[in-house]
Amino acid sequence: MHSLKSWRYPAKWILFRTDDRLLLIFIAVIVGICSSLAAILLNRSLIAILSWLHPFRQIWWAFVLPGIGAAMSSLFLEKIVNEGAGHGVPEVVYSVSRYGGLMRFRSSFSRLISSCLTIGSGGSAGPEAPVVMSGAAIGSNIAKFFSLNDRQRVALVGCGAAAAISSIFNAPIAGMIFSMEVILGEWSSAYLIPIAIASVAGTEVSRILQGNQIVFSHRHFDIDLMNIVVCLGLAIITAAASILLTRMIKYMNGKYGKAPVPLWMRAALGGCTVGLIGLFFPVVLGEGYNSIHMMIEGVFAQGFIIVVLAAFLKILATSLTLGSGGSGGIFAPCLVIGSFTGLAYHRGLVLLWPSVSWVNEGCFALLGMAGLISGMLQAPMTAIFLIVEITGGYEVILPLIIVSTISTTFCRYIESASFYLKDLTEKGHLLRPRTDARVLTELNVRELLETDCIGVKQNMLLRDFINIVKKSHRNYFPVEDEKTGHFLGMIYLDDIRPYLFNPGMYDAVLLGQIMDINVQTVALDDDLTEILDIMDINHLYSMPVVADNKFAGMISKATLLNQYRKELMVQAND
Amino acid sequence: MKLAINEIAKYLDLPVNTVERWIRQGKIPVHRDGPDCIFKKSILKKWAVSRNLSFTLPKNSETKHPGIEMENLLPAIKRGGLIHNTKGDSVNAVLKAAVDKIGMLSADAKKELYERLLERERLTSTGIGNGVAIPHPRTQLPEVKENASITTCFLEEPVDFSAVDDKPVFVMFILLSPSVKIHLRLLSRLAFCLRDESFVKFLRTTPDTDAFFERIAAFEKQIDKTDAL
Repeated sequence: MHSLKSWRYPAKWILFRTDDRLLLIFIAVIVGICSSLAAILLNRSLIAILSWLHPFRQIWWAFVLPGIGAAMSSLFLEKIVNEGAGHGVPEVVYSVSRYGGLMRFRSSFSRLISSCLTIGSGGSAGPEAPVVMSGAAIGSNIAKFFSLNDRQRVALVGCGAAAAISSIFNAPIAGMIFSMEVILGEWSSAYLIPIAIASVAGTEVSRILQGNQIVFSHRHFDIDLMNIVVCLGLAIITAAASILLTRMIKYMNGKYGKAPVPLWMRAALGGCTVGLIGLFFPVVLGEGYNSIHMMIEGVFAQGFIIVVLAAFLKILATSLTLGSGGSGGIFAPCLVIGSFTGLAYHRGLVLLWPSVSWVNEGCFALLGMAGLISGMLQAPMTAIFLIVEITGGYEVILPLIIVSTISTTFCRYIESASFYLKDLTEKGHLLRPRTDARVLTELNVRELLETDCIGVKQNMLLRDFINIVKKSHRNYFPVEDEKTGHFLGMIYLDDIRPYLFNPGMYDAVLLGQIMDINVQTVALDDDLTEILDIMDINHLYSMPVVADNKFAGMISKATLLNQYRKELMVQAND
Repeated sequence: MKLAINEIAKYLDLPVNTVERWIRQGKIPVHRDGPDCIFKKSILKKWAVSRNLSFTLPKNSETKHPGIEMENLLPAIKRGGLIHNTKGDSVNAVLKAAVDKIGMLSADAKKELYERLLERERLTSTGIGNGVAIPHPRTQLPEVKENASITTCFLEEPVDFSAVDDKPVFVMFILLSPSVKIHLRLLSRLAFCLRDESFVKFLRTTPDTDAFFERIAAFEKQIDKTDAL
């Protein structure tokens, strides 16, 4: 019986007990395959819905379709699976840093369905973030199934995310780097190896089922020095575009957040507006990979004004879709907006200096995509490798690096955190490994409790108290109620020192009279960051911990520093 | 190796809560198996060293330190013994006579002790009043390694010790201890006895050894009782 059960506890096998690297590689393959299958499922169903809805696009009332889709997606998230709207990446990052990657099982499919409804009906959003969330949730739940520990679970969450990106873009390196740069926020070999394996597995599954095709293939580009120099301008423009997109989404979120209607109504409203824009500019609808294709191929015929307008409208449509509560990511919209921006930049250059022989406009579309991705995500490595892989064009690497890094730099000047992490940073929930906030969240009051204080009663005479002072090696004495044992106050030796040497007071003073009743106390579940703030404001070095009205112990900065350092050492050597 | 979690926590010198959390988070190379923890000693040791922690398993042959706390007044007084009729008419003379009679010290040590006692007397008199003096060296003698001793010397003739109350001294307690901690403990206990007027009166009768020890034992019981309060 025991041996039958033990397959669910592989961490206990002798082979894996001392070193879990092999175990993680095995499970990473499973996670990679499952996550990749989820990505392909979403991709296939999006194609199916798009082709099913295609005939309706010609009818005048087709603009309500995105509205219906968004409303259904919002209803599904709110009523059926009970999850918040949005793209899900911040949730994954938060879960990784706070709960050791623990995620609900339903997260592994909820975003797939809701984003399928939103995007399939024409909403302007991307399928990547939902797939990342599903992949991460799949990794987390597989880890849970095998009863793995937090560190291993985090690695598998990273695996799931990496495999999802790898699979959907057929881009294993981009998947790995996305997972390390954005999801985990640290580069360590312990994580890199399983994530690399999962990326390989995910990509391979996708290649078997979808065929090994480069997402956006293109012609050969000849890039000379002049083109590289003008990339600086493109970087600045893409940075501006990504800041505009970030601000717009936030603005729309605020606008719709105040609307006094149910969530699904808001989503429907946003969706319908997008549908209206789509009537005149069908390029803004859906994930928009088709238009990217055309732009890279250099067959996107419209002129400068139209392209600029399209870029702005896509930004508007995306912020309407996501801000109103539709479900989907910003990856694909970023790529579309980026290629519009690149194209517009190229058209502008041609208008200004018609005599210079610029490289094909498809190249600028590519660079624009990289600029927008790196600006939005503030993850230049992800942008560089993603674009190289999805276009199969290594010859653009030099301008690509320039655009990505410069765009990230400019965005960071204006937006302190990337689009994914903005909300987390604002709430103070971004807990990257080895940071002060992370160490303080990992520790809790229970671990720092000093229980060597001697409690005294309120009706005790000072004379009896002196005997207790003799034995104690602390300067603090909690005063407790005789009957209930409730915490009443503290006696600080510093405060009562003069009385201690005055024998006349010995029988005249009760402890209840000399105790300090206005003490700042902490509860067992209090946040250490807050406790430290209170200590700093009041210039305290230690505070009593009170649980259920009873004194539980003291918490002091000295013990905290001791444990803090140990915690940091343990984290640092992960 | 298999150990309970609180034992591991003890050997790592960490709170149990922390060890539990580290195991859950996979930060420490230890596996949970119900109430037990399974680990490989060498790996855990290496892990602890690389993280500035210590992991020490208890050794079976661990010798308990000779209890510093356990050093009490009565054994020290018994060890030092009683010296009656110490002769001399000055501080130097009585100290010389008393030191010569302390049994367990070598001749060299006696000479050194005498010098150190005089040095201490020059600083301030050890006459604490009521005719009692507690001469002691300011620093520990190298020869007194383990056990403290208090030698009680009754003087033949009271001697002027320039004590705090200028009363001539009739009894000296020569206090030798291996450490400051023990010194203070014994001094505090002795002072507790000497605060009692009746005990000083009893000393003036130059009691015999058994009666004296009996009295000290009674005091010690009383001290232990109040300390236990």
